[in-house]
Amino acid sequence: MDSQVVDHLFRHQYGKMIAVLTNFFGLSHLELIEDAVQDTFVKATQQWRKQIPENPEAWFIKSAKNRTIDLLRKVKADQLRSEKLAHGAASIHLNDLFLDHEIEDSQLRMIFVACHPELAPDEQLAFALKTISGFSLKEIAAALLTKEETIKKRLSRARKKVVEKKIRFEFPDKAQIPTRLQGVLRVIYLIFNEGFHSTKREALIDRELCGEALRLNQLVLKKEMLRSGSSYALFGLLCFHASRLESKLSEDGQLIDLESQDRSLWHFPLIKVGNDAMNKAVTYPDQSIYHLEAAIAAEHLKAKSFKDTNWRAILEHYKKLQKLNPSELNRLNIIIVLLQLQKYELVLGQLSTIDESQLNQRAYLLWATWADFHFKMDDKKSALKYMDKALETVNNTLEKHYLLQKRNDYL
Amino acid sequence: MKDFMMIFIGETYADMGLSPEQLQERMGKWFTWSNKMEAAGIVKGGEALHDPVRRISGPDRVVTDGPFAESKELVGGYFIVSAKDMDEVQEIAQDFPDYDLGSTVEIREIMVFED
Repeated sequence: MDSQVVDHLFRHQYGKMIAVLTNFFGLSHLELIEDAVQDTFVKATQQWRKQIPENPEAWFIKSAKNRTIDLLRKVKADQLRSEKLAHGAASIHLNDLFLDHEIEDSQLRMIFVACHPELAPDEQLAFALKTISGFSLKEIAAALLTKEETIKKRLSRARKKVVEKKIRFEFPDKAQIPTRLQGVLRVIYLIFNEGFHSTKREALIDRELCGEALRLNQLVLKKEMLRSGSSYALFGLLCFHASRLESKLSEDGQLIDLESQDRSLWHFPLIKVGNDAMNKAVTYPDQSIYHLEAAIAAEHLKAKSFKDTNWRAILEHYKKLQKLNPSELNRLNIIIVLLQLQKYELVLGQLSTIDESQLNQRAYLLWATWADFHFKMDDKKSALKYMDKALETVNNTLEKHYLLQKRNDYL
Repeated sequence: MKDFMMIFIGETYADMGLSPEQLQERMGKWFTWSNKMEAAGIVKGGEALHDPVRRISGPDRVVTDGPFAESKELVGGYFIVSAKDMDEVQEIAQDFPDYDLGSTVEIREIMVFED
């Protein structure tokens, strides 16, 4: 018999079951539902010890249905009546809720709840990771580099707001979809970035975050009314980035920069999927930062070697990005490209205008760029001085190791 | 060959707040272990127990329902295996998946009543 269960089956199933049961009971019972679903998983862990069911997913669905009936008994009848559930318990066939497209629909509704503008950005992230992605408090805390207690507070604030603000378990009105969809895409983008530009050592959870972002984006793209240039472009971007996940870290867990990455490790099937997504993206009228970031990522992937990189094209994309979404970090990125293009005078002029305070924890990038500039000018002494400054400000261990290595190369 | 009972004692998964991902990992380990024992043909029986506990104790038959303060000492299940001696069962028990969660395996020989 098969001893393997699909990777992450439990976690994915968690999100599905929460969404379906919430569709049935309403958001005000979310906490009760989460407890009930968690119970189902403990039960599975014990019951599957000797024999894994032939169809694990069906087992969960059956179990969730039974759980629903248990819950129905628990939740007081009058409470149910007073809430006037959108679908009265009597009028709906429980089975219908567990059809594949209904499950997907419920999950998407939950995504819109998680990304509701009434929730603060950090609450959205925590809520999405818990309720849709099935991570535990501990896992979310590890993923977001914060304390379990903090996540607990964010979640309870989020749940409270969902009830108080009477957020409904529904898709937004058609007119609101473009705006609300931006909020959803932003959270997916953030989840991916937490994994991709990670500052932690446990690479495992990072990979899961990246995979989760891809999964959620795929889910969005399944629904006709949610397809747009930006939802496809984001998917393309995530595929392009994800294709480099393997080559980004060395065997001993050290960061490898684009220049030194083994390009043969890039995952071409994902690049192909990304390309297909970009081809779809351009058939829609809307433009987004994801289009441009994907275009930049694509330029890097196209280059056979670092030397072959088309920096001019990349510069143009960064300039457009700066117009669409100006930021100090993006200005710095432009300068880094100019440095590659050996436009040293421009670099010198612009580098001194970067406001370090707006870069937050990325300020070390400014000093590292200064160091690079001086190194290219053959001024080793200044290069070392700035690299030391970069090392003082960096707080990511992986980045720190990387900068130290660079400093050694200067000597 | 004699029969032995391996009794699993520890905190329940529910109380430990394991994530779905962790639960799946646990399930996989248990599955591998129990299948290894099945394949060796040594399993005589075994069950897992539900969490709720009701205790009746003392001459007054005082009834108390769990959870109890000493939740880390809850019997969660057992296996009965046939083996040569205690040492052999100790070997088998090496693969018990939950030592890292602070759980314990207790090995007891099953008594054979003589006619």
